[in-house]
Amino acid sequence: MLTKNFAYACLTEKCELGLGAQVALHWINNDLTAVDYTYQDFEDSSNQLANVLAGFDIQAGEVVSIFLPRSEQLISAFFAIQKLQAMSCILFSTLGEEAMLDRLENSGARVVITKKSLLRKVLAIKDALPQLKAILVIDLDAHQGGQVYSLPQLLSEAGTGFDYQHYVDPETPAFLQYTSGSTGKPKGALHVHGGLAEMQQTIGEIMIIEPGDLYWCTADPAWITGLVYGIILPFSLSIRQLQFSGGYNAEKWMQILDDQGVNTWYTAPTALRMLMQEGEFTFSKHAFAALKHIYSVGEPLNPEIFHWGKKTFQKEIYDTWFQTETGCIMIANKPGLVVKPGSMGKPRAGIEIRICDDEVKPVPVGKQGYLTLRAGWGSMFRTYFQKDKEYQDKFRQGFYFTGDLAKQDEDGYVWYISRSDDVINTAGHLVGPFEVESALLEIEEVSDVAVIGVPDELLHQKIIAFLVLRPGETWEKALELKCRIHVSNKVSSFAMPSDFVITDKIPKNQSGKILRRVLKAQYDGTDAGDLSTME
Amino acid sequence: MDLRERLTNVFRYVFHDDSITLNDDMTADDIEEWDSLSHVNLLLAIELEFGFEFLQREIQDLENVGALVRIIESKLA
Repeated sequence: MLTKNFAYACLTEKCELGLGAQVALHWINNDLTAVDYTYQDFEDSSNQLANVLAGFDIQAGEVVSIFLPRSEQLISAFFAIQKLQAMSCILFSTLGEEAMLDRLENSGARVVITKKSLLRKVLAIKDALPQLKAILVIDLDAHQGGQVYSLPQLLSEAGTGFDYQHYVDPETPAFLQYTSGSTGKPKGALHVHGGLAEMQQTIGEIMIIEPGDLYWCTADPAWITGLVYGIILPFSLSIRQLQFSGGYNAEKWMQILDDQGVNTWYTAPTALRMLMQEGEFTFSKHAFAALKHIYSVGEPLNPEIFHWGKKTFQKEIYDTWFQTETGCIMIANKPGLVVKPGSMGKPRAGIEIRICDDEVKPVPVGKQGYLTLRAGWGSMFRTYFQKDKEYQDKFRQGFYFTGDLAKQDEDGYVWYISRSDDVINTAGHLVGPFEVESALLEIEEVSDVAVIGVPDELLHQKIIAFLVLRPGETWEKALELKCRIHVSNKVSSFAMPSDFVITDKIPKNQSGKILRRVLKAQYDGTDAGDLSTME
Repeated sequence: MDLRERLTNVFRYVFHDDSITLNDDMTADDIEEWDSLSHVNLLLAIELEFGFEFLQREIQDLENVGALVRIIESKLA
């Protein structure tokens, strides 16, 4: 049986049903001016871009990368790529050169869509990407040569009609979202058009959005949340939504929430923790009269935030849990379910979880174990692109190992404990220690390095780098700045260590593996436990 | 080298972009990488370049590059 192409479900079908003139997105600029975009606007602009991409001979299954901050162009580009049955790969605009290179190399991206202010990063790595055909720049007036094209110029010559297959095989690849692992380079979780039905079930079951309600998801589309809950679901379900082009800003966010009359708000614990630090006046001047539901995702929601949210907004905050790999919400709190503050809530209907040991045997109620999900739900990732072995390694006896440790109580509520691997969750970004370590090792004054995540009140986890300096080098402010800037430019600003610890030696086992638990104990001033395997 | 040239070099170093040209109205919205995290790097780099330390109250309401220049000028006066 065929399924709707994401672009058909989100745009073309709306236009066929006579909803083309309906506002699909109320876009709020950083200066709080606003623009409305209709379904027809996105249908036309994505058709034009699909024609442009077709001109570069983009075939089904090939990857087109979108390296843009959140914008209406990003959304049009996503749908244009879907119409070609190519795969989109949206990248954070804060990514550094090496992080970009890893992702573009692995995905084999044929085209990158970007803007002038980010072009420098793409050009810096272009020569290492022989498969890259074209770089399309959304704000360039004229073609530059050397594969750099003015997208406005190309669009001016492209038609607004584009024929494509509205119904596709459900297993047709649709998008890659990159995520970090505890070892090695980032992995691109591949999702398919057939995931839409499962994603849509979460609206109504978990997220209550009534007809006419205004919805706001604050996540960047480079996050699975921003793509699924900021683009695919509101568009495909005709949910009235707004998006804000700026980043976190307490004053503006509260003004938008109140003045626009947002009914359902989906945000992240780090943002809520930052809001908690604001003065009372930031909130007391607003009534938030329209606000019905607040949901959060990305990191565990501390009970303190839950209680603060209830006091500040007179609403419970429903924590939800999912991953890049799961495609949509799997475990959640929701209206009608008594919230146990600090809990992830309960699994969705039809989602079987198992808290288990290494042999996939369930652990007793209340005991910590690996959080696993029985494989087979519709929005599940289908592989790690070009890394199928790593994908297969995530499954045992038909269960997907999430990499989280959790426990389940006697009432069925799930409680997050920690990661079971070395991946660091900082402000909702999963950072692999390997990426940061690789960047720091490029600094000539550094001879060895290890990176860990430690608990942090604001970020959930913060990144700590242990450095061994080369003989004769001394740690001073200028070197710290050099390290910070290098990580920011090579990986991303969110991967910058918060703290550096200078040490004589990195503890490793006999096979050279970094003993991160020893470093964590050293940082916390606690007992490191058994050191018999240490080199 | 005058203050603005030195400050331009600091920006170019921090944001790894030799094409940056400063003007007084420039804000974080004009440089893609200028977020709250890299802002810390920028302030640290300015302190190192000009040999002073910012006070918290001096940096909490920095609205644009022009304001930053005025603070640096006053610190160096």
